Amino acid sequence: MLECRELSFHYRRADPGETPDFCFDLALAPGECLAVQGPSGGGKSTLLSLIAGFLDPSSGWLSWQGDAWHDLPPWQRPLTTVFQEHNLFEHLPVWANVGLGLAPDLKLDAAAHRRIRDGLEGVGLGGLHDRLPDALSGGQRQRVALLRALLREQPLLLLDEPFSGLDSDNRQHLWRLVREQQRRGVAVLLVSHDSEDIRALADRRLSLIEGRLTT
Amino acid sequence: MRSSAHKLDVPLWLGALAWLAVVGMGLASLAALLSRVTLGDVAALWRDPYLMGVVRFTLTQAMLSTLMSVALALPVAIALARRPRFPGRRLLVRTMELSLVIPTLIALFGLVAVHGRQGWAAPLWQALTGGSAGYLYGLSGIVLAHVFYNLPLSARLLLQALERQPEANWRLAAQLGLTRRAIWRALEWPVIRRVLPRLAALVFTLCFTSFAIVMTLGGGPRATTLEVALYQALKFEGDLAQAALLALVQLTICLSLWALALRHGGATQLIAASARRMPLGRWWRRDALGITRYLDALWLAGLALLLLPPLVAVVVAGLGGLPDLVSSGSSLWPATALSLSMATGAGVGALLVALTLLAGSAQLHRRERSGAAALMEGGGQLILVIPALVLGTGLFLLLRPSLGGGWQGYALVVLVNACMALPFAMQVLRGALFDAPVAQRRLADQLGIHGIARWRWLVWPRLRRPLGLALAYAMTLSLGDFSVIALFGSPSRPTLPMLLYQQLGGYRWQGAAATALVLLVVVVAVFALLERLSRRLPRYRQSRYWPTGARRHA
Amino acid sequence: MSQQAIVGGLALMALLGSAAAQAEDTLTVYTYDAFVSEWGAGPKVKEAFEAQCDCRLRFVALDGAVGILQRLRLEGEDSAADVVLGLDMNLMASARETGLLVPHGIDLAPVSLPVEWRDDTFVPFDWAPFAFVYDTQALADPPTSFEQLIAAPDDLKVIIEDPRTSTPGLGLLLWIKHAYGERADEIWEGLQPHILTVTRGWSEAYFSLFMNGEAPMVLSYATSPVYHMAVENTDRYRAVAFDEGHYLQVEVAAMTRHSEHPGLAREFLEFVLGEQFQRQLPLTNVMYPAVDIGDALPAAFDELIDPEVYSFPPQTVARERRAWIDEWLRASTR
Repeated sequence: MLECRELSFHYRRADPGETPDFCFDLALAPGECLAVQGPSGGGKSTLLSLIAGFLDPSSGWLSWQGDAWHDLPPWQRPLTTVFQEHNLFEHLPVWANVGLGLAPDLKLDAAAHRRIRDGLEGVGLGGLHDRLPDALSGGQRQRVALLRALLREQPLLLLDEPFSGLDSDNRQHLWRLVREQQRRGVAVLLVSHDSEDIRALADRRLSLIEGRLTT
Repeated sequence: MRSSAHKLDVPLWLGALAWLAVVGMGLASLAALLSRVTLGDVAALWRDPYLMGVVRFTLTQAMLSTLMSVALALPVAIALARRPRFPGRRLLVRTMELSLVIPTLIALFGLVAVHGRQGWAAPLWQALTGGSAGYLYGLSGIVLAHVFYNLPLSARLLLQALERQPEANWRLAAQLGLTRRAIWRALEWPVIRRVLPRLAALVFTLCFTSFAIVMTLGGGPRATTLEVALYQALKFEGDLAQAALLALVQLTICLSLWALALRHGGATQLIAASARRMPLGRWWRRDALGITRYLDALWLAGLALLLLPPLVAVVVAGLGGLPDLVSSGSSLWPATALSLSMATGAGVGALLVALTLLAGSAQLHRRERSGAAALMEGGGQLILVIPALVLGTGLFLLLRPSLGGGWQGYALVVLVNACMALPFAMQVLRGALFDAPVAQRRLADQLGIHGIARWRWLVWPRLRRPLGLALAYAMTLSLGDFSVIALFGSPSRPTLPMLLYQQLGGYRWQGAAATALVLLVVVVAVFALLERLSRRLPRYRQSRYWPTGARRHA
Repeated sequence: MSQQAIVGGLALMALLGSAAAQAEDTLTVYTYDAFVSEWGAGPKVKEAFEAQCDCRLRFVALDGAVGILQRLRLEGEDSAADVVLGLDMNLMASARETGLLVPHGIDLAPVSLPVEWRDDTFVPFDWAPFAFVYDTQALADPPTSFEQLIAAPDDLKVIIEDPRTSTPGLGLLLWIKHAYGERADEIWEGLQPHILTVTRGWSEAYFSLFMNGEAPMVLSYATSPVYHMAVENTDRYRAVAFDEGHYLQVEVAAMTRHSEHPGLAREFLEFVLGEQFQRQLPLTNVMYPAVDIGDALPAAFDELIDPEVYSFPPQTVARERRAWIDEWLRASTR
């Protein structure tokens, strides 16, 4: 179970006691998909950045299955984020972009290469193994990103509007992949303002308005 | 093709005219000297073993200096990029930007005070090796001085390239926990590879045409560069033909190198214009933890130890001479004023010509004439490889019948200095002009934002900072110039570098040290002032609802 | 915009150029920059001469003696110079060759140099022997000949200037050639281990290196210690007298063929040999005046070495300079 308690953040250095710009409380069970929606700029990305460790919270508590991890660096947290864009390193071919999920030093053995190849086949990108991201469509790029997230096999998946701007075929494909993960017990936190995505995936939803989560 | 510039509303013919003037001036001054060459001279030059030796040595020292500067700049830049916050970082980076424009005589003084046989570092050297510190003289000294100049420059430019990575890439790298090796492969090397050829070509050109450093630290006639031979031919032999031929050899070598670099390098701007701060959590890079802390500290300490002590030595020596100066109503202040006004003239001139050329090149780009556009831009860079002495002498020969002396000489100096600063001004400005997003331009077209409003709201905010920086570079380069002004001479009113030489010629050590300090301070002040002015926020109020930082992270 | 500025600037320059040429009673003197600096002889000379001649004296400061000659050569007959002041003996032949200088026609009787002077074109105005200056605190017992210097331990270093780009540098080349003739290259080869570095000019050698203590000896003039004694009140720096004798440096002035004011020019050359002018030289140029000025010579000059001096005829220097420089190059790169 993912738990956030009074996870707060100030954009500017605040006086002690001042109300924080953002303050989040939420809980998320394995296999569950929680959607967070709200106006742009309301703090959706801030929430994900705090959970993923890209930003340091001013105060608060963050745990997975009871183990606190707000003091761990991003790469040691039990999660993977798929962003809306810039998920791929433009100068690395597709296989290397995926491979970084298996080995952060890119030292890949034969087994790893096989997993990458199979994974790409699995998401319908078998022929694009050696391409550079430049040559991929938006949907293909997101599939590569999601594949990498899946290969990391973390119990928590953060989705930062990863489907926006994609056509419906690509969306369906990605939804299917996410649901598959859910069935295997992965908890999914989806940030989106697209009601279709939410309807398709979410078990539960929260609204994020002016830095606070409400039902 | 690259996105083209904002419409600057500068007619193309103006760009063409500016190009003709700059290129024409460069080539005409070379031609003025070349016109005295006979075929026999060429043959003699080619067979002269002395000159062949000179060419060989020039190439060797330039290659060695370039290799050392760039190779050492890499880890320094990486360390700086990896440590975005530490006390003194801003100062260090500022000083690195300044290194390009520190007048040679001042740098030499500082280097001798630190690395000389009696320098601050000598006891350390003695303790380590047991011998006396003679490394400042000979090839090692030349390379050291060139590294002093070019390592900071290279590291600054590489740092800029590294810092231009989209923040999203770093987020991703943190998420996946990329190791050092993977960060190098996925993030650092791709950007560095694009900058490297041009950077190496720039450093090579600067080292190749270096003169006073080579002559003072070279240790003897073994260390003779083409520029030295050229100076000798021009000033001592009065052999214009030989000088022209040597200049031609230099031009050929440097130009072919640039051609090679431009073919292999990406079109990144070469001079650090602005660095965006990266948003950071505590752990934004896995490779910033653990032992690399100490490694980075080592590299940065190395940089600081290379760069700062010589400058401190200049300041210390200069302070001793200050009381002397203040008391004797000296010519220091008039010289400062003269230097500043000439530098302003040269700076503004360089800026205007650079803008005209770049706007012309951008227009050609829009018309899909990329060859012509590159030529237009390249014209401004030509001056980098024509020795100032040749430019000056050639112009002198061309303009002589109408040249009286007096302040016309100053005007000519301003003109030549403006041309010499042109390549640097263009490098700073081209990024700002070329990187303007197409979408933004189309939007402005659609909304019908033209003329002054377009300048005020679209062009000016983007251009303000690079303009300030370009002006600062152009002005300070011209402030430190001695070679050109020495050629044209002056009636009794010296500029700062001339005053410095006069004081040296008159045994005024204390005064000279103080003048050197003042020159250094003026250079720093020009940088600081222009940066401040150009950084001031626009006058419209910022919305309170979106704090400045919020948009970046949200 | 910029284009127009340049064109406009050039036009203005041309205009002013012609205006300047029309000013009638201005005597233009080309000299080197140290001469016209505020502490140099220039300002006082200007004042004194203008009071006497009822004319304007205009100095154009150039980059050393070589700068004067180069400028003259480049400008040829269009040169604005009426008088050139500050060429040195070794440039005399080249300067004469340009055909731009004319005999001065003045009486050289007051001239008192260690050598006889009978040139009809060049008026000597000051002189000094080249010499090595040493720091008494770093070197108690300096070598007193080239051969002793060669025999000294290798860690005794001297700083010299490049004969290709500097006047003292060429002086040293001629000094050794004069003293050793055919053996000059041997001497140069022997000196190699003792040469710390060869600088472009005197300023770098003396200021950047010697005053920083980089070597205990530097090639300069026998008169250099005067400045330290008279102005800085220290006798720490002294010149060392060499057994081989010393090569002489004489600075000269001359008038140009195309001068529009030959009368004024001649008057100025006479003024140069006058006491008002000569009195300025010892402490500004730090050289011996070319005329005996008696008690006006500062006492510090009595402390200097008084060696035997000699020089080559200027024509010989002009003829052989290139060959000798090549010989030096070969000897020092061997």
